[in-house]
Amino acid sequence: MAAITSSVPIAEAPASRRKFPFLLIALLLPMAIINFVAFVLPVIRLGMISFIESRSGGVLTNNYTLENYADFFTDSFSIELVSNSLLLGFGVTLITLCCAYPIALFLHRVSPKWRNMLFVITVSPLLVSSVVRTYGWMVILGDQGVFNGILMSSGIIDSPLRLTNNTLGVFIGMVEVLIPYMALSLIAGFGRLENVYEEAAASLGANSWTRFRRVILPLTAPGIALGCLLCFVLSISSFITPKLLGGGRVFLLATEIYDQAVIQLEWPTAAAISVIVLIIFGLALAVYSRVVKRFD
Amino acid sequence: MQTQELRQETPAAETNTGDQAFLKLKGITKRYGADYMAVDDLDIDVPKGKLLGLLGPSGCGKTTTLRMIAGLLDITRGKITIDGDDISHKPPHKRDIGLVFQNYALFPHMTVAQNVAFGLEMRGVGRTEARDRVEEALEMVRLPGYGERKPKEMSGGQQQRVALARALVIRPRLLLLDEPLSNLDAKLRDDMRIEIREIQQRLQITTVFVTHDQVEALTMCDLVGVMHRGKLAQLGTPEDIYERPEDLFVADFVGRTNILDGEIEALDRVRIGASVYPCNTRGLTAGKAKAAIRPHRISLTPSRDRSLVSMATNAAHGKVTRVTYIGDVVQYDIDIGGNTLTTEVHTASAGHSFQSGEKLLCEWKPQDMQVFGS
Repeated sequence: MAAITSSVPIAEAPASRRKFPFLLIALLLPMAIINFVAFVLPVIRLGMISFIESRSGGVLTNNYTLENYADFFTDSFSIELVSNSLLLGFGVTLITLCCAYPIALFLHRVSPKWRNMLFVITVSPLLVSSVVRTYGWMVILGDQGVFNGILMSSGIIDSPLRLTNNTLGVFIGMVEVLIPYMALSLIAGFGRLENVYEEAAASLGANSWTRFRRVILPLTAPGIALGCLLCFVLSISSFITPKLLGGGRVFLLATEIYDQAVIQLEWPTAAAISVIVLIIFGLALAVYSRVVKRFD
Repeated sequence: MQTQELRQETPAAETNTGDQAFLKLKGITKRYGADYMAVDDLDIDVPKGKLLGLLGPSGCGKTTTLRMIAGLLDITRGKITIDGDDISHKPPHKRDIGLVFQNYALFPHMTVAQNVAFGLEMRGVGRTEARDRVEEALEMVRLPGYGERKPKEMSGGQQQRVALARALVIRPRLLLLDEPLSNLDAKLRDDMRIEIREIQQRLQITTVFVTHDQVEALTMCDLVGVMHRGKLAQLGTPEDIYERPEDLFVADFVGRTNILDGEIEALDRVRIGASVYPCNTRGLTAGKAKAAIRPHRISLTPSRDRSLVSMATNAAHGKVTRVTYIGDVVQYDIDIGGNTLTTEVHTASAGHSFQSGEKLLCEWKPQDMQVFGS
């Protein structure tokens, strides 16, 4: 009996195995080629440039050296860059998570009738370029901006609050830019969360805080991990919003790469910093996969 | 006041003589919107240690009732007490009720042992005691040593048992089961039915069991409440429900039944087609009526003269229109002058087997025909 039933899939398997890889390769190849030519090769080239010795004025030599890295790690300014970037990355990610989590949870629970519309509203900021949104924040948060104007004319404050050209401005702008990405990732990772688990926990004696801590949070952990990874990477690599809202006074790895590559024309230095950023991303990815495994 | 009520009820409910109502549902009502009554003025008393089955088609309000008892839904009106304790408006986590869901709802991120221990943890039970009680509960559901598995690594039946262990380990005052067997295959369902009943009786835990399956309700429960459109159609022992249905809905829903159109001619006489049959008309003396007869209560004999049949038996001549072999029974559809009777004959009781088109005589006892006014 068992032999008869099991013989069927065995007989079918070779046929499907012959047909399957061809289609699989045909579908995967275009993107694999693009990825190789436009990402893998440049990254290898970037790594090579980071070891090239340069003379003043950004002239590249044919000599390879570890000096670019040595310079970076011995300079207190670059250590400040790393800590600034990491603080921004962690801080922005945490605040974005706190802002987006209730939205995602609400969207997950709202009746399907409203869900699509509310979902579109949540991600609609993505329709406007983050450059334009950053300029919008400059208009709102500037010394003569809408926000300070309201506070001053209503007599709450006498002099404008410093909300731009500093780290606070960068935080505000970055969080707003990243909320849709965080919300999208969270919702994508909420698949396992069902109302019935909360009901089961309640029937076993868990109050609402315990239900959140012991049931909702662990079940949404994959979404949290994905959203945090994405926002961390985006906030560390973001360049336009810190540049504009930081007013040149907030120094980060991303802005330094730009300065070194475009203004100072020190490509090897820029490449070395880029490689360090890549390593930070690699570490973030490792943490992410551990978290996902842990909560699977 | 309360004692007076009890005194009145005790003689009526034969099976629970001397038992006090442990779970009391008094006029509980759930209204949605302006006038949709999901559950309408339900009164049910369940004595301590008994298993109540709430039986009905989907949308009859049985699950809504269960969710109101569990506290997962607010009641619009009415009162729920457990052992005299009014829980009508307590939040679910303070009700001390064990709940088993239709899809088990085991926490997917926890192991089996963590699932079972969850309720103990909420009650602040110490680690060593909790470990012992979890193992004991898993042994009770015949899954000893399965504690380290994840729910997704287990079969449906095993998950079901874990859910039962998780609900029972907290030693709740009341156990609620929401269609617990409907996701299992037929063979497993039979086993689990017996197992759940056995555990329930061993622990003597008062239980409410929601099901749309009449076999489950009849075989497992001490009391069955048949629900229809938010109301309680009948509450009684399985035997009451099956043998003495109080209305047409119950007669039709519980077990297979022939429903025939007829007319009441006089007290205890109903006309169906051209013939008049003695039966119990429940005091009705006239008007249109529906008569219900169970297929297996009709006996079939080769056609013979009506006068040879005892006057105490109802009989009708008929012709076989269809023969369906089911295995344990053969089902004959018989045309008795305009109406079709479905009958069942056990294949083991050999007797006579009939062919399609064959003429025969259908006989049944007057008390096996229930007549309802319509």
